[in-house]
Order: sequence, then C-alpha cells, then structure tokens
Amino acid sequence: MDYFSAFAISGSGMSVEKLRLDVTALNLANVHSTRAGTGALYQPLTVVSQARPGAFAAAMAGARNVQLGAQVAEVRASLVPPRLVYEPSHPDADNKGFVAYPGINSVTEMVTMMSATRAYEANVAALNAAKVMSMKALEIGGGN
Amino acid sequence: MNIDPVGFLPAVQEIALGPLQETDAAPSTGFAGWMAKEMGAANDKIVRSDQLLQRLAMGEVDNLHQVMLSLEEAKLSFQLLVQVRNKLLEAYQDILRMQV
Repeated sequence: MDYFSAFAISGSGMSVEKLRLDVTALNLANVHSTRAGTGALYQPLTVVSQARPGAFAAAMAGARNVQLGAQVAEVRASLVPPRLVYEPSHPDADNKGFVAYPGINSVTEMVTMMSATRAYEANVAALNAAKVMSMKALEIGGGN
Repeated sequence: MNIDPVGFLPAVQEIALGPLQETDAAPSTGFAGWMAKEMGAANDKIVRSDQLLQRLAMGEVDNLHQVMLSLEEAKLSFQLLVQVRNKLLEAYQDILRMQV
C-alpha cells in the first residue's frame, strides 16, 4: 500500500461518518413531521456501513489500485411504530383525535450524532498521523 | 534371468516457470525522464486541488475533507520532489569536491 492509500482510507471513513451525521440531522429535523395528506409517515433512517469487500488480502499480496476503506451499504428506513399523541385540534388528527408523529428517539439520535463526530475526529487523527509519518520519512538522510 | 526395464518411474515433467512478476516499468528514458514525469504528476495534483478549491468557493463540493485531502497530497508530492532535488544536489557537490 503506497502512502496515498492511508489518505484514501481515512477519507472514505470520513465520508461515511459525515453521511451518518447528515442522516441523523435529517431525523432530528423531522421529529414533528406529521403525515401530510396521503403521504406515508416519515420513518427514521439509519446508515448501514461496511468495509469495502475483499480488498485487504489483495492489498497484502501487493496488488495495485486496490480500494480499501469503508463504504455505505444502504440507508435504511427503520420500521418503528409511530408515536400517537392526542391532539384533536391538530389539522392532521385522525377520527379518534390522535396525531401520528414519527417514532424518532431523540436520545438515540443525539448519541449517534456524538459517536459519528468522535469517529470523524478519529479519522482526522489517523490521517494526520499518516502524514506525519510520511514527512518524517522524507527526512531520512538529512541532518548530516 | 529377466531384468525388467525401469518402467515404474513417471515420465519426466517439465517444470513450468510462471510468468514473470509485473514489476514497475523501469524508466526507459533514464532518470531525467522519470523526474519529468513525476514533476508532471505533482503539478497535476496541485492543479486538481486548485480546481477543488474553486468549486468549494462556489459551493459545489459536498465533502470538505476531499478538498483538504487533495491539498495534503499535493503538498506531500511536492515535498518528495524537493527532497529528491536536495539529494541530487548533494551528490553533485560531493563529486565537485573531489580533488583532481
């Protein structure tokens, strides 16, 4: 693996974590989105990420142009039951007076947001470490 | 007395040599050609990071870290070229210092 692969690996990890943060922000923005007319209720999304398949063995065997890193497998809508709140005066209330809100757990979303941020920072730290290593390698034979 | 011929040995098998491993293409035009190619590659990296910066200023980039990554790669390639130049100059000066 050449020294640019370390940058690409960390870059892919950062892309995945950024997407996770964006999806979490989308879920949090839709906490109070009720069913609008005939549309389906908003279901909270989760990001399923996986490692790029089958590449590490090839990279260890010395193959070139092997794409290592993480990738997003899918952004899945989790099927949680909606949260029913009794509000007869709401325009979207059904005939019993209940309004269906998306079943988004704010606490879970905040924790996901914090862990995505920490993972992003960890990827930045790994990238900086790889860069420091490369710059140190360039100093071989210097100082004399 | 009947001496059997040696018939139990299998036929001699040809040892097939595998194909040669693909190594890096040796510089066909020598060191000067390789150096020019690497300088072109480093220049390409700088140009690409410049384009990404312009797109970031226009707001068309969705990943800020891609811009920073390209900047770091360009800087690293350039540092490598500078070090190669330093080593070459040092070797050249060593030769110049030799007494005739």
